[in-house]
Amino acid sequence: MSDVSLFIPCMVDALMPEIGESVFRLLRRLDKKPVYHEEQTCCGQPAISAGYNAPAIEAAKHFISIFENDEAIVSPSGSCVYTVKYDYPILLADDPVWLKRSESLSNRVYELSQYLVDVLGLSDVGSVFEGKVAFHESCKNLRGLGVSDQPKKLLQGVRGTEVVPLNGAEICCGFGGAFAVGYPEISEGMVKDKSTSFIESGADRLILSEPGCLLNVSGYLEKHHPEKRALHLASFLMESQEGGN
Amino acid sequence: MEIKTEQFVEIGKREMNDPYAQTFLKILPEVLGVMREVGMASYTDPKGASTYGASIRREAVARMPELLEQLESSLIANGTRVIWARDAEEANEAILKIARDNNIKYVTKGKSMVTEEMNTNEMLIKNGIDVYESDLGELIIQLLKRPPFHIVGPAINVPVEEIRDIFLEKGIMTEPTLDPTELGRAARIFLREKFQHLEMGITGVNMAVANTGTIINVENEGNIRFTKSSPRIQVSVMSLEKVVPNMKDALYILRLLCRNCTGQKLGSYITFDTGPKKEGEIDGPEELIVVIVDNGRSKQLLNPELREAFHCIRCGACLNRCPVYAKVGGYAYGWAYSGPIGQVLNPLLLGLDRTQDLYRASTDCGRCKEVCPSGVNHPRIFRYYRQQDVEGNKELRSVKRPWSERQSFKAWQWAVQSRKNWDRSIRMMRPLLNKGISSPGLRRWVKPLNSWMKSRNLQTMPAKTFHERWKDLEKEQSQ
Repeated sequence: MSDVSLFIPCMVDALMPEIGESVFRLLRRLDKKPVYHEEQTCCGQPAISAGYNAPAIEAAKHFISIFENDEAIVSPSGSCVYTVKYDYPILLADDPVWLKRSESLSNRVYELSQYLVDVLGLSDVGSVFEGKVAFHESCKNLRGLGVSDQPKKLLQGVRGTEVVPLNGAEICCGFGGAFAVGYPEISEGMVKDKSTSFIESGADRLILSEPGCLLNVSGYLEKHHPEKRALHLASFLMESQEGGN
Repeated sequence: MEIKTEQFVEIGKREMNDPYAQTFLKILPEVLGVMREVGMASYTDPKGASTYGASIRREAVARMPELLEQLESSLIANGTRVIWARDAEEANEAILKIARDNNIKYVTKGKSMVTEEMNTNEMLIKNGIDVYESDLGELIIQLLKRPPFHIVGPAINVPVEEIRDIFLEKGIMTEPTLDPTELGRAARIFLREKFQHLEMGITGVNMAVANTGTIINVENEGNIRFTKSSPRIQVSVMSLEKVVPNMKDALYILRLLCRNCTGQKLGSYITFDTGPKKEGEIDGPEELIVVIVDNGRSKQLLNPELREAFHCIRCGACLNRCPVYAKVGGYAYGWAYSGPIGQVLNPLLLGLDRTQDLYRASTDCGRCKEVCPSGVNHPRIFRYYRQQDVEGNKELRSVKRPWSERQSFKAWQWAVQSRKNWDRSIRMMRPLLNKGISSPGLRRWVKPLNSWMKSRNLQTMPAKTFHERWKDLEKEQSQ
């Protein structure tokens, strides 16, 4: 058993802790020994996105201090991973010591599916689901990290599951953090499109691997199409043995 | 053109409630996007082509001052007159003076973004000089008095019935028709007569080649060619960033531009003009004048964060990929430039104070950046603008963020550095949020929550965070 460090996004911590639990149990099922640094808070993404770099720098330093000795740091959010890998070096560009620490950490941070597929070399994690699923490509996973094949490989590895194409899978769901509440009409238009293409895909489940997108899409589905379910990749992989629909 | 960048939300909402606009927006960006992909597929390595294009643009922008001087010398050597204009006003005054000195009654125009930016048409008309846009789309929006809907297809959203009506009203044709060919023919006949007696034409510039002094224009209708070759006096207006080092670079960018713009390998008409009509030549203007317009660009040229904005070649590929543009359309951006490049350029040229929504109404999804053939990282620039608002930037006319937001990030900074503080904040937030979620009456006072819940549910915050559940999980682990 080897250690893997859990990087739990603040949104998962406070709003969707069950995703964190799924990640934990999934890694346990794969014979890993997850560790969790209890000092972790938030990677700083909301501040960076809003233009508050000074507070974000503090978040970055806090994060680096906590995680820098870990061998593998795994998160169920590609956008948080993106922040650590690509935004930290920009934030800390003027501080050579911290920049170095941030760069040395960068290669050890993985989005969950990246870790399972690229590092552990898995595609079958022992899950079973009889039914069809569609996959939404979250922006920061797809265009930020280049993570797209990995989650699909994992889905194809689920026994009984057929992965069906999702029209416009690569188009943003309309979350964007402050965007969703700042421009609710535009955001609604976008999430409506996402929900429509999910329904038209004929899939039983929409799988996503980004908590923000999930909050948005599942929030919309619950209100307008309560019979339709979207869930995080980690939750889906843990919901083995469940029947379709 | 009236600047309406401050009405982004209002105009956007109006467009989202317009069924015609919405039907159209569902199709247009998709189709243009596919056309582009087909065009780009004719390269052996499409990604490599964009990368090369971006490096050409990067070099041209980095060397801009030197290249512009070289361009000036080359133009003068060819017999072209060069006018430098610090801003739109100076440029417009210069154009007006040329027209007055030559007793010009009317001009025809080629489609040009920089003259949209300068509001040249309105200025000329105010001074008694008629202006006829000669690009079909531009002519239509000029008659309808509308801003461009798309930087490439300015009237691409206008229903054919509306075109029929305005053509009848303005006397461009006398018999009603909905046949696009007939409408096109009517505009053609109308404009042909204008070209025939033309004394002065005004066009934009797609590229100006520094070492040869050649002005390049790309189009599909032939109207720019007419505007450039018919009159005695030809005025080409360019913004600083149109200069490229040499013909080899120009041709590479040209191929990239056409593919990204309309999916064509090359536009139907491409004109290269090097100087006015020379002795023994049968056509071309007797006098060629190039107006080089700064209009707020040079003061940001040395800003490494914004330099990329000048890479843009105006292909419009980013518009067609933008999910926000696909909802609100081109009018919401309120000025000459729309879509992601408008969100980059309008704030730079107009100031952050007048363009707040432009660089905030983005999910930073990155499709614009992904498709850009000239290496513009739009989302990075949006973030830069937001950061300037927080930190203050007089030159860009930044706007201080609301007190409540500044306070909450102060509190956030305090909380984020210690789990103890973080947990305290969560314990404070939880009952408030949960009360708001379950009570619509209360929620009305919390704008973000209210906005969210108008179209989406929100689960109440669980009683225990992951952090609080960890102890149990650890027990599970040791079993």
